[in-house]
Amino acid sequence: MREFLTGNHAVAHAVRLCRTPLIAAYPITPQTAIYEKLSEWEASGKLKGIMMRTESEHSAMASCISASLTGVRTFTATSSQGLALMHEMLHFAAGCRVPVVMANVNRIVAAPWGFWADQLDSLSQRDTGWLQFYCENGQEALDTVIQAYRIAEQVYLPAMISLEAFFVSHFMEVVDLPDQEQVDRFLPPMDLPHKFDIDKAGFYVPVVPSELYRKYKHMAQGSMDSVKEVAAQVDQEFRQEFGRGYGIVEPIMVEDAEIVIVTAGSITSTARVAIRALREQGRRVGLLKLRLFRPFPGEVVQQVLQGKKKIAVIDRNISLGSGGIFCQELRGALIHSSDHPLTYSYIAGIGGTDVTPEVIQKIALEVMNRSEPFDKPIWVMDD
Amino acid sequence: MKTDSDHSSEFVIPISYGSTEVIETGKWGFQKPQTSFMTAPCQEACPAGNPIPQFLYLSGEGRYDEALRALLKENPFPGVCGRVCFHPCETDCNRAQYDESVSVRSMERYVSDAASNQPPNLKPMRNRDSKKVAIVGAGPAGLSCAYFLSLLGHQPTIFESQKEPGGVLRWGIPGYRLPKSVLKKEIQRIFHLPIEIRTGIKVGEDLSFDELTRFDAVFLSPGARLNAPLSIEGEDLKRVWKGGDFLERINSKDKVTLVRETLVIGGGNTAMDVARSALRLGSKATVAYRRTRNEMPALQEEIVEAEEEGVGFEFLIQPVKVSLLKNKRLAVKFQRMKLRGLDRTGRPKAIPVKGKFLTLETDHLITAVGEQVDLSWIPQDLIKNGLVDVHPSPRIFAGGDAVDQPRTIVTAISAGKRAAISIDLYREGGSYSEVFSKIRLGNKGSVSMEAYLSGKDGGKWRGPLEVVSYEKLNTLFFEPKKRAKMRQLSLGRRLKNFLEVNVGFSSEEAQLSASRCFSCGTCNYCYNCYFFCPEGAISLDSDHQTRTVDLEHCKGCGTCAKSCPRNVVEMKESS
Repeated sequence: MREFLTGNHAVAHAVRLCRTPLIAAYPITPQTAIYEKLSEWEASGKLKGIMMRTESEHSAMASCISASLTGVRTFTATSSQGLALMHEMLHFAAGCRVPVVMANVNRIVAAPWGFWADQLDSLSQRDTGWLQFYCENGQEALDTVIQAYRIAEQVYLPAMISLEAFFVSHFMEVVDLPDQEQVDRFLPPMDLPHKFDIDKAGFYVPVVPSELYRKYKHMAQGSMDSVKEVAAQVDQEFRQEFGRGYGIVEPIMVEDAEIVIVTAGSITSTARVAIRALREQGRRVGLLKLRLFRPFPGEVVQQVLQGKKKIAVIDRNISLGSGGIFCQELRGALIHSSDHPLTYSYIAGIGGTDVTPEVIQKIALEVMNRSEPFDKPIWVMDD
Repeated sequence: MKTDSDHSSEFVIPISYGSTEVIETGKWGFQKPQTSFMTAPCQEACPAGNPIPQFLYLSGEGRYDEALRALLKENPFPGVCGRVCFHPCETDCNRAQYDESVSVRSMERYVSDAASNQPPNLKPMRNRDSKKVAIVGAGPAGLSCAYFLSLLGHQPTIFESQKEPGGVLRWGIPGYRLPKSVLKKEIQRIFHLPIEIRTGIKVGEDLSFDELTRFDAVFLSPGARLNAPLSIEGEDLKRVWKGGDFLERINSKDKVTLVRETLVIGGGNTAMDVARSALRLGSKATVAYRRTRNEMPALQEEIVEAEEEGVGFEFLIQPVKVSLLKNKRLAVKFQRMKLRGLDRTGRPKAIPVKGKFLTLETDHLITAVGEQVDLSWIPQDLIKNGLVDVHPSPRIFAGGDAVDQPRTIVTAISAGKRAAISIDLYREGGSYSEVFSKIRLGNKGSVSMEAYLSGKDGGKWRGPLEVVSYEKLNTLFFEPKKRAKMRQLSLGRRLKNFLEVNVGFSSEEAQLSASRCFSCGTCNYCYNCYFFCPEGAISLDSDHQTRTVDLEHCKGCGTCAKSCPRNVVEMKESS
């Protein structure tokens, strides 16, 4: 069924379709519409699960972790300051190996105050042990929530799906809503090997000696390593069931490309238009969309960019003192590629500023003319 | 510490199946929780000291026999008070500040009605200093005194001038407010105890006052049975009746016939009882009162019910003369009044409007302008301002309507209890004010028999508990809930007979009403402390009414105290 939906409502539909029994959340702009929609459905009986209205995001995540440890599917949604407040619990979720799924609407982190699109909130949580997906539009956000449950429940790690404030969260597009039957077929009921067992009461999160701590981190890394394969497999099965898929990264006209633009999130859509125009001008520009960010699909990226001379990474985020975070990751992943490309870091769209096709074309032309490596981030300003 | 891993889950997360009890986290804190029961404002306000939170908790659990037992510790008349008490408990109820007060009175009635008919096992305690006590008058004060004296192991003998005990409950209050069967049940329960009663005995006629003083102690509770006169011309005409006599005749099942119209003088509860009884005997009834509706001393609900039933009201008139008309009807001449200034008690004063009069015709005139004490048999030194005052005599005690105290049933019950305790404590030259200060419930004069008994053996009383104010409650744990409205007989059914007007709560209404109690200052096993304690250091057992804290593991965080909605847990610095 096709419906005209915002990204937020598309996410809410996904949660409903996944029959999530427990949702614990706290409202925050621009995510609130997800919370409200689910509440509305809870009131009308359309949502079979329970909405826990917690007093903070920290408690929301704590509730999701505890509920998840009873063996049920859980969901929360947040943004920006809410995600920052959750930080401590994000580590707990990963450490407890619970497949909590969360939608994060990318919004700037104060100060100064604002509500605009910016990926720094979720990228700041890079090292918490969560899977991270960045979505281009509402349809992808919906589909990724469904996929995320399948993946997370297989690897026992929590998953965060990011969609940018307003550009995705509030933008209305036609969304193909899957049938309940299809989703039920695709997503079996959840089970956890380590769920609470009332007949064998145990104490979770005990103090462990150093060696044991190391052991569990090492095991988690092993699970992270398996994600790329699992995610690719799940995406393939998804394609079979629903007729569409995304891949963990998406190369567009990369094969013969002289330079490659790398994006994540909604800027990808704009970049698709920009490179088409550049191609019409005879310029061999390719595009690489990063969808899975954690674990970082380094080997896949290496393969896709094998032999490329120059790439430009556009980041709607900035790690002050370093540069665009996607660019850092990319440079890290490419360092051992033979003859690895010159990698330029472009900072565009910070604070929700517009990244138009013209901006992307300008970046591409500039990179084509560059021949020297340049470490520092290059800020794209309007003036 | 040993950390075992479960084989099925060790590849995921560590789970300890060992105990963390070895870590004595209790040593970390500097304060520890203490269960500290407090007095609820309803208990403080109840002159009888009814254990209200406790009996409502037991009611909520459906344990009505136990609820009744709890009430009977402090009050021998729950069925009576549950119907006709002026319920100061509800006025002071903390819940009134939240939404509406708890239906304490109706619940007291419900418990009394719902408990099994098996009389509770009331037994006098052994008392080496058992005293013989003479009680004059078997009204609520006298019966209450006898009840508590007997429980304390003394030997009361009641002298009652009427042919049956009960006093104002038996002869004054009409059956539509207090059914005789209810009263009978409560009186029978009292007389399960070894209490002697001699009815039809008038002290001063059949027995001299001096003979009373041969007892170890005397309790005077003769009540106020004389009807105050109007002191106007024509008052002695036939068809001019006194309210008390009128009610007594109805309650004696004498045949009382009224014709078309009845005029009642007065604004108190007796006037309401008279007017509403007159309606039930087929007469029209009009109440004439010298002040306005606002100043009427009758209970608000009595006035409202009288209005609903069709009693007419004439305000700001005072009778000055009654005369008999040729058609055998009465003409009552009234002086018109107005309100000016305040009297000594702070009530607006009614003063005549010069030259303004009104004459009303009626078939019957019934006066209900107050009751007085028959002092004819009381020694002069025990009389003060028309009331009994026993201060000069250490072995003579008094209570009820004959002494200077509010004339309510529950006050009379309280007086009986206080007298019983005083008599129990009485030694030559002894003083009991110190004991009373320790067994009091709050600061409004009520005392706890339970507190008295708990300290009696060693002569050590724990001292009074603090009263829980609304501010001390954690109302976040409550949610607004409307109070159940007591169903009443339809007007059509009411006016044909003396059936009880209030039909009582259904079991659902009783459960709702019990659950509305905040249980201020009394643990009702809500388990908040248990659930919120991060250490799992709290154990509760509602069956045995125990609460324990594992002090070796309690960190003293105070979460239990904060999460207690009723202020029962307090943090105290640990030594």
